[in-house]
Amino acid sequence: MKIAVKIADVIFKNPLTVASGTFGHAEKYYDFEEVKKLGAIVPKTVTFHPQQGNPPQRIMETPSGMLNAIGIENPGIDGFIQNKLPAFKKIGVPLIISILGHTDDQFLQIVEKLNQQKGISALELNLSCPNLKHKILVAQDPKATYRVVSKVKKISRFPVMAKLAPNVTDITEIALAAETAGADGISLINTFAAMAIDIETRRSVLGNFTGGLSGPAIRPAAVYFVHQVAKKVKVPIIAMGGIMTAHDALEFIIAGATMVAVGTANFVNPRAPLEVLQGIEEYLRAHKIKDIKELIGSLE
Amino acid sequence: MPSLQNTFQVVSQQKLCPKFYRLCIDAPVICQTVKPGQFVHIKVNDQLFPFFRRPFSVYRAQKYVEIFYEVVGPGTAVMARMKKGDPVDVIGPIGRPFSMPDKKIKKIVMVAGGIGVAPFLIFCDALRKKHSDLELILLYGGRSQGHVYDMKEFKRHGCQVHVATNDGSVGKKGYVSGFFPKINIDRKDTFIYTCGPNPMMAAVQTWARKYGVAGEAVCEEVMACALGACLGCSIKTRSGYKTVCYDGPVFDLQEPIF
Ligand SMILES: Cc1cc2nc3c(=O)[nH]c(=O)nc-3n(C[C@H](O)[C@H](O)[C@H](O)COP(=O)(O)OP(=O)(O)OC[C@H]3O[C@@H](n4cnc5c(N)ncnc54)[C@H](O)[C@@H]3O)c2cc1C
Ligand SMILES: Cc1cc2nc3c(=O)[nH]c(=O)nc-3n(C[C@H](O)[C@H](O)[C@H](O)COP(=O)(O)O)c2cc1C
Ligand code: FES
Repeated sequence: MKIAVKIADVIFKNPLTVASGTFGHAEKYYDFEEVKKLGAIVPKTVTFHPQQGNPPQRIMETPSGMLNAIGIENPGIDGFIQNKLPAFKKIGVPLIISILGHTDDQFLQIVEKLNQQKGISALELNLSCPNLKHKILVAQDPKATYRVVSKVKKISRFPVMAKLAPNVTDITEIALAAETAGADGISLINTFAAMAIDIETRRSVLGNFTGGLSGPAIRPAAVYFVHQVAKKVKVPIIAMGGIMTAHDALEFIIAGATMVAVGTANFVNPRAPLEVLQGIEEYLRAHKIKDIKELIGSLE
Repeated sequence: MPSLQNTFQVVSQQKLCPKFYRLCIDAPVICQTVKPGQFVHIKVNDQLFPFFRRPFSVYRAQKYVEIFYEVVGPGTAVMARMKKGDPVDVIGPIGRPFSMPDKKIKKIVMVAGGIGVAPFLIFCDALRKKHSDLELILLYGGRSQGHVYDMKEFKRHGCQVHVATNDGSVGKKGYVSGFFPKINIDRKDTFIYTCGPNPMMAAVQTWARKYGVAGEAVCEEVMACALGACLGCSIKTRSGYKTVCYDGPVFDLQEPIF
């Protein structure tokens, strides 16, 4: 049974990865032998300058999901390369580095710094964080998406994925713009812009006022996004949005995803990624599928 | 994925007073490794509601891991229905523990608000093991008599327990800070620990600062992962945002900005 998948020229030993911002401190808490079984790891988005993130309260639980407004708290690209990258490399699993520039130039400067690093398999451009007070996200504008992806593609040593937002009228338009600009893959979806109100104080619960909705609550919508994009673009898709179990991940694969990422579920069940992987293998075995490629996009 | 996540069995469930419960869990691996001030992160059922795990201080770790908790919402309401033999999915022990006082310290003052008393019994157990002559003082503030229980385990350690309630139904009427003027604290030999509502811990900060006494505070924030991964449980501190689960929950007393 073959479960390895390929994006650009990178081979991942299986389709299982973790969504940016939901997996960290591997060195302290995770059993290395287990983490090594993942197909890839995507660390939290890195920006050019360090960012301290948004004021508390940053998260809350919602029906079958959560809101977050972390605000991309991160040590900046230099801090990341110095202090975080070495530990991630040590795990020995392909790394997809998620990056975000507040300007095109910042995107390029980050890529130039990463170009000099070894042990990176691909870049994921976070064009879609809803928590940063930008009036409009790159991933809400096909022209901006095209511009950023093509600029990065020109200089990047690594394959480039574009991570898209669900808050758009027509996701295929944005995905096509990314593909035309040379993206090697599409990651979707990021969180839905959302909020919650404290009815006693009549204030927003989150310190940032708004946040992003994730978890099983968004899964059916995410599956539909992946289905639409898979029909229109040829490059591989890394799918995410509420995956808790193998069943959930298989829906995305059948809809057309080459890889699947476990996000919010990590917080509830840190073993979720490996349980999902195991479940996918069992499914393939039970259905006598020899190569996972037969399953990808096999929706009738 | 962490080897810190395990399924254990409930040993007993007990109501200690109208508001507080004690849940005992048979978790030998946690008993052996937990340090006072650390907590566990519990999935109260295998459903999507409540969605998050819930964090609880370890109240005691002798034969079993004991959780001392108050029912305040859906998660703790589910916990209160757990019975002997039920499985429970626990991550832990996690977080930065209390630091043990150094040799010059002769007096430990613990200031607890309501369920904030939870981390102090395991701490007294540990202190008594090492320093039999330490003076232990617990200042406890509860909302009302429903929030007061006998605290005999503290008293058995020779801990002086002072109780205040907001409505005066038990002990002194008013806030726990009403005890401060009566307690002598001295930078040379006293160390303060506190856990409870933020306004109470802010009052403890001010009191300690006035006398130059050092201490530690156990902080709270809503948590998702409790493993330092989501950066969701950050609080404001004098050195920027810090995660309660990974950098804390125990912080230097003057560090958090309440
Ligand atoms: C490190 C730490 C140790 C704790 N130790 C104890 C303990 O020993 N005993 C005890 O009774 N409680 C403890 N708590 C608080 C406990 O986690 C919450 O009371 C519990 O999560 C509430 O869940 P609920 O569904 O019953 O109520 P909810 O409806 O979720 O919440 C009720 C109230 O509790 C607050 N709350 C909700 N979730 C959390 C959370 N994850 N962390 C903190 N506050 C929250 C809410 O803001 C609200 O005010 C601790 C919290 C932390 C962070
Ligand atoms: C706490 C939290 C932090 C996140 N941080 C990032 C981030 O830094 N970069 C990013 O591209 N996506 C981030 N995301 C979005 C996830 O990567 C993912 O796209 C989204 O949550 C949907 O998947 P899920 O429902 O499985 O979580 C974050 C999500 C959560 C819940
Ligand atoms: S709860 Fe996720 S970082 Fe603390």
